[in-house]
Amino acid sequence: MADKKEKLHRGILYYPRIYRMIITQDIKSKMHYRADFFISILGMLATNIAGFVAFWLIFQSFPSISGWSYYEMIFMYAFSLLALTPAQIFFDNNWTLRFYVLSGDFVKYCFRPLNLFFYFISEVIDLKGIGQLAFGSIMLVYAWAHLGLAVNVQMILLLIAALFSASLIMIAMMTIASATCFWIINSGIVMVFLFRFKDYAKYPMTIFNPGFQFVFTFLIPIGFISYYPSLFFLRTAELSVLSWLSPVVAVLFFLLAYKIWMRGATKYSGTGS
Amino acid sequence: MGSIIEMDNVSKVFRVLNRHPGFKGTVSDLFSRDYKNIEAVSHISMAIEEGEMVGYLGPNGAGKSTTIKMMTGILEPTDGRILVNGRVPYENRTQNAQNIGVVFGQRTQLWWSLPVIESFRILKEMYSIPDSVYKNNMAMFDQLVGVSELYNKPVRQMSLGQRTLCDILASFLHDPRVVFLDEPTIGLDVSMKSKIRDLISVLNREKNTTVVLTTHDMGDVEALCKRIMIVDHGKLIYDDSIQQLKQFFGSYRTLKILMPGDAQITDEKMEKYRNDLLAQCPDSQNVVFGTDEEWLTILVPEDQVPLMNILSGMQTILPIKDMRIEEISTESVIRKIYEGDERIPQPVERTGAAAGEAAGG
Amino acid sequence: MDNSSGRLLFNNAGRLPFRRYLSLTRGGILESLTYRTGLFLNLLGNLVYMIVMFFLWRAIYASSPSTIVNGMTFRDTLVYLTMAGAIFSTLEVYLVWKMGRDIQSGQISLYFTKPMDFFLREFFYVSGNVVIQLFLTLVPTLLIVCIFTGWSIPLGWNLLFFTASLFLALLLNFSIDFIVGTLCLYTQSFWGINMVKEVIILLLSGATVPIAFFPDTFRTVVLYLPFQAIYNVPLQILVSHTYTWADYARGLGVQLFWVVVLVAAGRLFFRQSSKIITVNGG
Repeated sequence: MADKKEKLHRGILYYPRIYRMIITQDIKSKMHYRADFFISILGMLATNIAGFVAFWLIFQSFPSISGWSYYEMIFMYAFSLLALTPAQIFFDNNWTLRFYVLSGDFVKYCFRPLNLFFYFISEVIDLKGIGQLAFGSIMLVYAWAHLGLAVNVQMILLLIAALFSASLIMIAMMTIASATCFWIINSGIVMVFLFRFKDYAKYPMTIFNPGFQFVFTFLIPIGFISYYPSLFFLRTAELSVLSWLSPVVAVLFFLLAYKIWMRGATKYSGTGS
Repeated sequence: MGSIIEMDNVSKVFRVLNRHPGFKGTVSDLFSRDYKNIEAVSHISMAIEEGEMVGYLGPNGAGKSTTIKMMTGILEPTDGRILVNGRVPYENRTQNAQNIGVVFGQRTQLWWSLPVIESFRILKEMYSIPDSVYKNNMAMFDQLVGVSELYNKPVRQMSLGQRTLCDILASFLHDPRVVFLDEPTIGLDVSMKSKIRDLISVLNREKNTTVVLTTHDMGDVEALCKRIMIVDHGKLIYDDSIQQLKQFFGSYRTLKILMPGDAQITDEKMEKYRNDLLAQCPDSQNVVFGTDEEWLTILVPEDQVPLMNILSGMQTILPIKDMRIEEISTESVIRKIYEGDERIPQPVERTGAAAGEAAGG
Repeated sequence: MDNSSGRLLFNNAGRLPFRRYLSLTRGGILESLTYRTGLFLNLLGNLVYMIVMFFLWRAIYASSPSTIVNGMTFRDTLVYLTMAGAIFSTLEVYLVWKMGRDIQSGQISLYFTKPMDFFLREFFYVSGNVVIQLFLTLVPTLLIVCIFTGWSIPLGWNLLFFTASLFLALLLNFSIDFIVGTLCLYTQSFWGINMVKEVIILLLSGATVPIAFFPDTFRTVVLYLPFQAIYNVPLQILVSHTYTWADYARGLGVQLFWVVVLVAAGRLFFRQSSKIITVNGG
């Protein structure tokens, strides 16, 4: 009779509508801190600009980085910034997961008739990433123009697809990192440790020896955040099979992260008797 | 036609890892086999019919929360079978959630910084509540407790009582068939408790919603529950009506004494009265002293010593302005059960008639 | 209660209340030690950073026509950046975080009820973590660099001057943090400001890209700013084979100059700003 899994019948707009309503509450509550909002955007922009300045300085004294030109580096940098932004903006609540789990307040997410991961993530939206989105876009256009890349529908679509799949990598990484709180105590430190790796995504994999190429491709796959997808635009002649695999890797990695997170959320025993 | 909640020989065993702090601890924990088995719930069977309001009691650590978590689909039982609304809660979490409501005392599920009406609107979307149902329920809530005055107040600015009120209303908003209330009146003042008990009572009656109420507050139990279940050390040790329970303690009566003046009744004073009384009445060693607001209460086991003897004894010890004799309070009954008095009956297999008798009334 | 007039180092009895302040340092050390897992992962993170920098600069130099650019070889650059990273870990005092949090929570008003001077109290407390990092990060890193580069770092008087320079750099870093933290009193926000501060310091001090690679005009400007006194000066003192006594004196002198200026400015700024708290009640 009742042991089979049923499906609730809801329209296709159910989740988007709920999402809009829930993030509105977070935006409204943060509106009270307008100064903090703008200063935070400024802070993020500062780090973005610093990355750019660092490259500019290096190229004042050096002709290239392992054969990669200034504009190619800027392209990869901008691409990485854009790929990192969705994780920053939409998945910010992962950083507070461990506090909810520790206090036991996490259970309140378990009583609602919607997907646990979706509900938890939708509670917080971090709009300070908008500065990074703007800066990254400008830098990308800047590099794109100087590299003389074609501007047509194919390229645009390719760019969007590449960015979409690249963004899943960071999302997946931080999701796994935060999910460790279901099993260990010091998960915040793990998150901070993994978070630093995003800064290395802007460098081409060719600078590393095979050992570290392996690490950054298959263990902590930051290579898929910018390098492998960028090859479609920068060095189509040198396309690696990994570039073609980027979307597959991204989706699989995200699914893995999702499964791990959900397993932790549903299996941890929770506090209280 | 099955009961709305059915538990059949359900057990829950936790394998708890002995965690260690620090770096070495974290690493060693990853490889550790040092588990403890904790049987939080042990072979519990019960059936709750639609429309019943059941009190679920037990000392802390008895397994109450664990049972509730299994009924709401958060935990999977190690053994046995649970059916809520005809579904296995753990395997159909979202579908189950659509048909239940849950309230935690003190832990709000509403959105903190929004005016509470916005929370209701979000819930309307979340539970796909039809416009007509939403309107009717909101009107009913307003009629019952005047909630429209609170609409524009952010939850963060509300008192505990107002918040709890809104949490309870929110849990009934989508017309669930079962509502789980976990310590709903905790931390509230007397008038608010009364208001909330009335609310729960009306909603249970009007909507025929099954209510499972876990609480430590005897006032809640007294006011709301005809049937109570008592859990201790993971086992269900009582499942019947309150009246039945009191009958088993029928030989107990409570003597209440009011003294002139406003003096506080302290523990030291009660100790003194105790000793003085013992001198007067040698059989009085098992009486239990307590207080109930301004009254001094003495629980007297009348099979050991007649209440009148205690009364005359007390008259020589202190001045009495007023006195009352009552049957044993629910609180004392529960306390006696927690303390392991063997006199309570084992849970009886619930037949439809008996269940209906407990639910109706 | 504002008993800090100027730089009150001596208490009313005319004695240095050193013991009280040193106990704060001890407290800071103990607190840092409880974050053992964090320390380990921090070290691991720094190691990863150094490895990435190694590969990056190897690639950068590989494309260069000459092995010496602006006076620095690949090894020079790597030693420079490695030691800069170690200094960063050592001098990181998280003061802006602490002040920012205390300001937001209102706890900062508590500090005025204690009899110790706020600046000194915080300084001695955070120096506890500095001591930890010194032995856990800086010294081992120095040893490793020496071994791997065949003792390219001179080991003589420069080490003594380096220690002095490091202490001054700490004071400098601390006072900048102190000024920025005080700024948070006005904005009720600290994350963004702290980011801006960090970025500016790291970039303009040569810790991200050695100052040797800055274009000429840029380099001249940067050398006049206090930020390079935090990283560049101690680093040059440490690694330079050609420094004379005059050079050491000049380096330390520049640091001392900035320390005096910024500590005084910071304390003044704080005293003025703390009136906001005492007036508004936090």
